[in-house]
Amino acid sequence: MQLTIQGMCKRYANGVQALDNVSLTVSQGMFGLLGPNGAGKSTLMRTLATLQEADSGSARLDDIDVLREKDRVRGMLGYLPQDFGVYPKVTAQDMLDHFARLKGISNGRERKAVVDALLERTNLSGVRKQKLGGFSGGMRQRFGIAQALIGNPKLIIVDEPTAGLDPEERVRFHNLLAGIGRDAIVILSTHIVDDVADLCPNFAVISKGRVLLAGEPRGAVEALRGRIWRRAIPRETLEAAQERLPIISTRLQSGETVVRAYAEAPPEPGFESVEPDLEDVYFSAVAGHLAVPMRAAA
Amino acid sequence: MGALASIAGFEFRQRFKRISTHVYFLVFAALAALWMAAAGGAFASANIVFGADKVNINSPYALSQTIGILGFFAVTVIAAVMGRAVQQDFEYQSFHFFFTSPIHKRDYYLGRFVGAFLVLVYVVLGIAFGVLVGVHWPGVDASRVGPWSLRAFAQPYLVVLLPNVLILGGAFFGLAALTRRMLPVYVGSVIVLIGYLTALRLIADIDNRTIAALLDPVGQVATGLVARYWTVADRNTRFVPLAGDLLMNRAVWLAVGLAIFGFCYWRFSMSQAMEGKRAKRDAAANAVATQRVREVAIPASRLDLTTGAYLRELPAIVLLHVRETVKNVYFMVIVLAGALFVLSNSKVVGSMFGTNTYPVTYQVLDFVSGTFALFMLVVTAFYAGELVWRERDARVAQLTDSLPAPTWLEFAAKLMALFAIQALLQVVVMACGLLVQVINGYTHFEIDQYLYRLFAMQLPEYWMVAALAFFIHVAVNQKYLGHFLVVLYYIVVSTAAGFGFDHNLYLYGSVPTVIYSDMNRYGHFLPAVRWFQAYWGAWAILLLAAARVLWVRGVDTQWRVRLRGAVSRASHLSTAVAAIAVVAIFALGAFIFYNTNVLNPYRTQFAQQELQAQYEKSYKALENMPQPKIVTTTVAVDIFPHEHRVRFSGRYKLVNKTPSPIREVYVNVQEQAHIAKLASSIAWKEVESRPELAWHRFALDKPLEAGAAMTLDFDVDYAARGFTNGGADPTVVDNGTFVNNILMPRIGYIDFFELQQDRDRAKHGLKPRLRMPDLDDAAARNRNYISSDGDWIDFDTTVSTDADQVALAPGYLQKEWTEGGRRHFHYVMDRPILNFYAFLSARYSVKKDVWHPGAENVPIEIYYQPGHEYDLQRMVDGVKDSLDYYTKNFSPYQHHQVRILEFPRYQAFAQSFPNTIPFSEGIGFIAKVDDKDPKDLDYPYYVTAHEVGHQWWAHQAIGADVQGVTMLSETLAQYSALMVMKHKYGDAKMKRFLRYELDNYLRSRGAERQRELPLYRNENQPYIHYRKGSLAMYEFQDAIGEENVNRALASFLKKVAFQEPPYTTSRELLAEFRAVTPPDYQYLITDLFETITLFENRAVEASAKDAGNGMWDVTLKVSAKKLRADETGVQNEVPMDDWVDIGVLDADDNPLSLERRKVKSGESTYAIRVKGKPAKAGIDPINKLIDRRPEDNVTTVKY
Repeated sequence: MQLTIQGMCKRYANGVQALDNVSLTVSQGMFGLLGPNGAGKSTLMRTLATLQEADSGSARLDDIDVLREKDRVRGMLGYLPQDFGVYPKVTAQDMLDHFARLKGISNGRERKAVVDALLERTNLSGVRKQKLGGFSGGMRQRFGIAQALIGNPKLIIVDEPTAGLDPEERVRFHNLLAGIGRDAIVILSTHIVDDVADLCPNFAVISKGRVLLAGEPRGAVEALRGRIWRRAIPRETLEAAQERLPIISTRLQSGETVVRAYAEAPPEPGFESVEPDLEDVYFSAVAGHLAVPMRAAA
Repeated sequence: MGALASIAGFEFRQRFKRISTHVYFLVFAALAALWMAAAGGAFASANIVFGADKVNINSPYALSQTIGILGFFAVTVIAAVMGRAVQQDFEYQSFHFFFTSPIHKRDYYLGRFVGAFLVLVYVVLGIAFGVLVGVHWPGVDASRVGPWSLRAFAQPYLVVLLPNVLILGGAFFGLAALTRRMLPVYVGSVIVLIGYLTALRLIADIDNRTIAALLDPVGQVATGLVARYWTVADRNTRFVPLAGDLLMNRAVWLAVGLAIFGFCYWRFSMSQAMEGKRAKRDAAANAVATQRVREVAIPASRLDLTTGAYLRELPAIVLLHVRETVKNVYFMVIVLAGALFVLSNSKVVGSMFGTNTYPVTYQVLDFVSGTFALFMLVVTAFYAGELVWRERDARVAQLTDSLPAPTWLEFAAKLMALFAIQALLQVVVMACGLLVQVINGYTHFEIDQYLYRLFAMQLPEYWMVAALAFFIHVAVNQKYLGHFLVVLYYIVVSTAAGFGFDHNLYLYGSVPTVIYSDMNRYGHFLPAVRWFQAYWGAWAILLLAAARVLWVRGVDTQWRVRLRGAVSRASHLSTAVAAIAVVAIFALGAFIFYNTNVLNPYRTQFAQQELQAQYEKSYKALENMPQPKIVTTTVAVDIFPHEHRVRFSGRYKLVNKTPSPIREVYVNVQEQAHIAKLASSIAWKEVESRPELAWHRFALDKPLEAGAAMTLDFDVDYAARGFTNGGADPTVVDNGTFVNNILMPRIGYIDFFELQQDRDRAKHGLKPRLRMPDLDDAAARNRNYISSDGDWIDFDTTVSTDADQVALAPGYLQKEWTEGGRRHFHYVMDRPILNFYAFLSARYSVKKDVWHPGAENVPIEIYYQPGHEYDLQRMVDGVKDSLDYYTKNFSPYQHHQVRILEFPRYQAFAQSFPNTIPFSEGIGFIAKVDDKDPKDLDYPYYVTAHEVGHQWWAHQAIGADVQGVTMLSETLAQYSALMVMKHKYGDAKMKRFLRYELDNYLRSRGAERQRELPLYRNENQPYIHYRKGSLAMYEFQDAIGEENVNRALASFLKKVAFQEPPYTTSRELLAEFRAVTPPDYQYLITDLFETITLFENRAVEASAKDAGNGMWDVTLKVSAKKLRADETGVQNEVPMDDWVDIGVLDADDNPLSLERRKVKSGESTYAIRVKGKPAKAGIDPINKLIDRRPEDNVTTVKY
């Protein structure tokens, strides 16, 4: 099973080019879609989730035209949107049951079994009779994944699921996600590099509506070897350095300003070579240093 | 303060930038402009009046009405704008920013409120803008626009509308701030509506006026009350004063509004807004923290994505939506409010003269479902929006929209949920109705009638409205705009007829009205309704098909994308459904059009009037041409109740009573008639035929010489053809047919076809005319006002009908037989009668009695609908007491039988034909008179006495067709009934009755469209000949003595009864009155009958001293003033030197002393010694005179 996106474009009425000729191929397993806020991730997710029309381009899930055969897509889709609400006065169990009906599980006994298992799986069976209005952010997110998993979806789209979760909830959520990525295409959009590093055998970086990079995290990191340099600089020189040098990221380490740069050779004396990590890949890509999609690395 | 101003400014600016604000403004402006233009006569067919045609459309009164009534519609806008001003911060979660910033609660709360208030001021100013535009609309009659006055605009705004924005706005704003939801705000506006409706209902009873004025939150009822007795002149010049009931109303509601606003402000806390939710959440989160993480296999499940599978899920999903709606506390509040309103009014069902009817099912249904109709519309509009928006409001739309459930499932589920909610409300209506009946101790439950009316007739129509509301919400995809558009639809549909747009084919959801009658049930009126329902049902389906493809699924909301999506979403099924709907619309529309416009003439009121105008323009010149008069009528009338057909075949004998030969005869036959035969004994030729004007002119081969006779044989047939825009033809019904001789050929120019209102005449190019010929018009004295083509005729008829019905007509039954499955009745009248008779047919029961058995032996028969036995005895008593009084005081009864015949309540009157009195089932057959209740009036008895009175006053003494003639018939019949009632029930009851008459007279004269005239010249004006007639005659007999009045009447009868032309007039009656009136009471004739005279009498002060032995000396100071009004109500004081009651009353309002004294204009003082402790004293204390402020005639006695 494979999802192929070809030349997808979308421009909003206010002029924002949300998707700019996006092409991607996604196979079974967990696929991370990494990008800063406003990169077009959610637009792409919603378009794949049949909630939005694209201006042009195509998306195929094996033989299914995702943009046209929406009903077929929905039959195998699990979607967890970035921002969603709940009926505050309905219990988790009733709500899941309602979703299960809408998803097409018409047999009452089967539906009950699925709902029970999902509640168990997402650790919500203890609060199954509680109203959704009282759920915490993590519980709500888990409820969201529970509803997305109803009916064994083949295409699972989770949009920024870990934003706003505390570390413990995030770990719990990662475990949850890790367990589902085996026999389905799971597209996980996030702006958190660790989510991808922890979970995804494949990923792509998207920014300003364009795919900057797609491949395996390990290969991408490998390709950067020897090109990432690091140095601590005085804070007041940062701005000048950013203009002068190919700096991709800045962070504070024990009160010191440490910058990382992308270059074939040390950009300036004082820079030391470092072992690249996925974050460097992400920042290099966003900074425009990996202008040609590294398809080859995949 | 700076923060407050900047928050207010922010709120105002961001609202002002929105289109919706300007849409509101423009809608109000448009409504006001149309309204004004219509009132000014810009639209030929429109029908909006502020009372008389002489009330200027920009007069203070008219502006106060316009701004007040249109301003009432602003309640929904006030709710939306005020509620949203604060609720949106919660909906969009933006309260976090405001509540955490260093602004004071006062600045936030008041700032938002002030901002919203300013926006609303702008919106309601749209009305004033519209008024200015409307007045300049092309076609507005310039003479209707009076001088402008800024105050006329400012006052209604400052006194009514802006305070309403403040009062209601403050309360709505507070509700939204406290509950953070819009629903309570809408519930609040419904409660306002209930207050207004309750007030409107209460005001009908004159005892409850002050309560009513207070209860109305918008001040409209109070305004009406303050100006209730205003004449045309008052309306043009006076400003509604902020005084009395209106002042009290405004003060009370301002206080209530302030209290709610203040309470909400006090309870509103910016920090609590955040804490509340946080606390709850943590508790839940902690509960899970202890849970283990576990890997659980998800069992495999089959997804059944077939249509069949989803169809099976439909009921559960519908139920879910219904449950979500119904278990909501606010829904409960709305329903409870409606139920409480109904139950609190349950005691006054069908009230007339403050007296109730039995709560028969149709009355209760009319009342309860009429009340709930408004709730139904509110609930439909509101929940249509809620249902369409439910997922998006809860932000679960992205979840549900990406599920494989087909769009139709959610669509159908929501639509059906809305349908189900409406059905549920109908169940509530039914429960309330039954409860009302139980409360009133009425146990004849007609469950089938409830079920049929509520669920088989009303519900489909409500469903159509639901479909429209659903479509609007889907299509505009903006919740608040959607609500507003739905409300706008209600307004447009309910006012379109006023603008001359009344065809049900283009007013969505409109169907002809059907009246249920116990006699005829729904009769044959249903099919037309069903056809229209089917037609609009097809529209509803088309709208739903459109809504289905426009349904927003996903996040694209731009029209471009939606329309593109709609095309691709249009499935074969929805396309097919839409196509079928379109075909059905055309087919049904064509069929209906064929019925309403081809088989039957469809005319707007304007077009109908145009025909009347043409008749007058074409033939008025022939009015006084010599024409023969009918002297004998022999007619066979065949009534076919179930074919809705009636045939008149017979012969008139016509005589030339004029001195000149007659060469042409004008025969009028109603347009709808099929004329099989019109043949004369003198050969004639039809030289002109205008069937649409009912006009057929025949030239006689040889003239009909003076005094000579001819015959006219006729055979005309009326058969209902299909149905009209108004529904089925009501001429002949299945049970309870009531037709009169207007359907038979009439001879000569018929002046009652003429347009009467000056304004209508002007529209059709006719000069104003008197509504009746002048009192001194000699030519008009040759005809009586009942019939111009016959004087006293011999009458013989054979009426046939279905075998199970009884057919009746004036005359005495000679023979009854059944032949060919039809029953025939042969009636012959033994003496000449007026050319005025009727035919009735129904399945009757008969109550029989005899007046003066053994002596006159007059049989009394009441033909009634089985089940309507309640008031038969009262009617019998009414007949007997009337015959007693009238034969003793006036003259013998000319017939030897009295029959009262019930007819369906399609019309609400009783009418007197010779020995035959048709009496509507709606006005007396179900009256529930409580003889022990001092407030109840025995109106079946009263109406009977009035109608029996007509056997004298019309059927013995008939006046010429000139001004004042109805004083001879209606006023005297009214007097006769008053005397019969007085002797049976006493003065106290009469006082109560007269209070209603006074109130009715004073209110109606303000609504006079042309001119008020004195009684003796009144032009068939009911408020004058009935209402003022009662007051004048009662005062007259009270002053000069009942026996003297009766002496005059007996003498009058002796002179004029059964006279041939020229007929008598009110002058001759007044001469009789003058003859029996003592010299110092002669002024009364002038005041009561010849002029419009009013009094402004007032008790200034009264004090009492103990004179020992239970005697008291009362000193009373009164002020008196006598006024003469002209025809528009302009008053001039005239000197007064009249005999007026000066009285002293005890604590129970019983007179201790009541004596006529000479009272002069101005203040005067009287000393009266009474036995018993006085409580009140005053001038004309029991209100015999016409006084616009009757309540200040007495004052409390001081010690």
